[in-house]
Amino acid sequence: MPDGMSVAEPVAMNVARRSRAWSRDAVLLLALALLPTTLGGFWVYGIGVCMANAMAVLSVSFLLRYGGEVSIGHSFFLALGAYTVAILERQAGVSVAIGLPVAALAGVLLGLGFAWPSRKLSGIYLAVATMALALAVPELILQLGPVAGGYEGLYVAKAPLPGIPLDLQRYYLPLVVLAMAVVLLRRFRHSRQGLALLTARDHPRAAEAFGFSRGFARLAAFAISAGIAAIAGALLAFSASTVSPNSYTLWTAIYLLVGSVISLSGLGLVAALVGGAFITLVPQLLAAWGDWVPILYGFALLVVVILGDRPAETLTKLRGRIGGGRHG
Amino acid sequence: MGDMLQDLLPLIWTGAITGCLYAIGALGLVMIFKATRVVNFAHGNMAGLAAFVVYTLTAQGMGLGWALAVVAALGLVVVLALASYGVLAKVSERSDLRGTIGTLGVGLILQGATQVVFGADIVNLDLPVPRWGASVGGLRITSYDVTVLAVTTLVVGTLFVVIERTRLGIAFRAVSTNPFASRVCGLNLVAVQGVAWGVAAALGVIAALLIVPTTFLSSTTVAAFMLQSFAAAVLGGFSSLPGSILGGLVVGIAMNLFSYFVSPELNATFLLVLILVALNVFPGGILPQRGGGSRA
Repeated sequence: MPDGMSVAEPVAMNVARRSRAWSRDAVLLLALALLPTTLGGFWVYGIGVCMANAMAVLSVSFLLRYGGEVSIGHSFFLALGAYTVAILERQAGVSVAIGLPVAALAGVLLGLGFAWPSRKLSGIYLAVATMALALAVPELILQLGPVAGGYEGLYVAKAPLPGIPLDLQRYYLPLVVLAMAVVLLRRFRHSRQGLALLTARDHPRAAEAFGFSRGFARLAAFAISAGIAAIAGALLAFSASTVSPNSYTLWTAIYLLVGSVISLSGLGLVAALVGGAFITLVPQLLAAWGDWVPILYGFALLVVVILGDRPAETLTKLRGRIGGGRHG
Repeated sequence: MGDMLQDLLPLIWTGAITGCLYAIGALGLVMIFKATRVVNFAHGNMAGLAAFVVYTLTAQGMGLGWALAVVAALGLVVVLALASYGVLAKVSERSDLRGTIGTLGVGLILQGATQVVFGADIVNLDLPVPRWGASVGGLRITSYDVTVLAVTTLVVGTLFVVIERTRLGIAFRAVSTNPFASRVCGLNLVAVQGVAWGVAAALGVIAALLIVPTTFLSSTTVAAFMLQSFAAAVLGGFSSLPGSILGGLVVGIAMNLFSYFVSPELNATFLLVLILVALNVFPGGILPQRGGGSRA
């Protein structure tokens, strides 16, 4: 999947494209920041959840891009972040402002612990292990007992800032965190560490010659991804105002992967929002035809996977084959 | 101590019986992985769909014989497996990862199709074998146990004879060891890989039909059951057929002991820990590899 991003890019083209991307993102962020002045409460709530989900999609895309690995277990790290915020609020009376950094730290640590056993093996072992991870989430939450509120879950209702309506905070917190994440990820792409991860993914031997092992790179990529997912979970708990075991199943994790693949695993603002909106809105719009959602998602996955990174080329080739090879 | 032993033996026995089924499921996963380097996440969804087809065909109204219904379901599943292989073959050639994501897509479609066509009903699907049971040295052995053992022996035996003794088996081993070299030698890669996918899907159906009588059939039971097969395959190294059989037995017995002595509510967590420990302790699988795919 991540073949689209290589270590080396022509510099001039790169600079022009980057400045265009910056201005586009700035306009988009401004528009999102002004939206609550014109839209009703339902939409503000919905878009807030979309942005939290966009963050979750980013975490899966990051793993695909920098680690070259598939996870269908990120619902675990979402749940970790969400329940950290909810339980800290319930037990210690602190808001998401404390809960979010704690969640991020917990996500990174557990991500390291989880990826450790498969660090030297190929990506498919990690993928299989993430499947078991996702299936274990609901029973682990229930095992926490009354602290986690059982099947009903918990409410998250404490405002981090005084004086501002809670509804608006539920919207602006994900917006601010998502914007920060996108900026940081873009800087990461050109940082020493980011380049080292990409080198380890594409040219493991070269990276090792520079003293940077593939195993370490995979651990780092997974830990960062798990941290982002835990932050997303914290945002999701705060924006949606509830957490419950039903929201963190294997399906949640698979849908995150769908959102990531649909957005071509991009790490920019647009890609994240497209992925987040897709997995938030499609189930809403198709609520009456719930059973068709997996079918639609499945076809979407297949189409993207088949078309690949260069959809135009692949389409031309396909058309050529169907039209009797006129195009080559 | 005597009490403990009295509990232990039946637990190991029933664990080994379900372990046989995990092993059959794992064999399919490993065959597909060996032939095409793809982890087939759609394995459980496909087998679940087939179980529903058998249920519908044998239900009152349709009244088809059991054997005929199974043949129909097997036929359907082989067609579906070949279609998935056809769609994903080119994709997985470029990147294993992308092929694996593709199987998730297939799995989602099959899961949704099962729900759309058969609804969210929970049904019972029994085997057409007479019920009896006998006590042998303190062990209660039922007709179900005997059926599972007989089918497993037959399936595994046939599979190994085919793989070890026939030209097709040699072709399969060659393709799984080195696809490029086998193509150079004139082997038909597509045919061999297609056969592997078809046989694997059929194995999944057999495992599903045998496991469903012990619980019930809903649109998610079989997919959930396959997690055990995944764990068995990982234990075996994911590219060793004998390893996955041993892995299935280990998973079956360990799960049974765990849920009896510790907690039946933490089964998935136990499997997760088992997988992580296995990856750490036996990175090459519990049996030594004979070639045909390394892990790194």
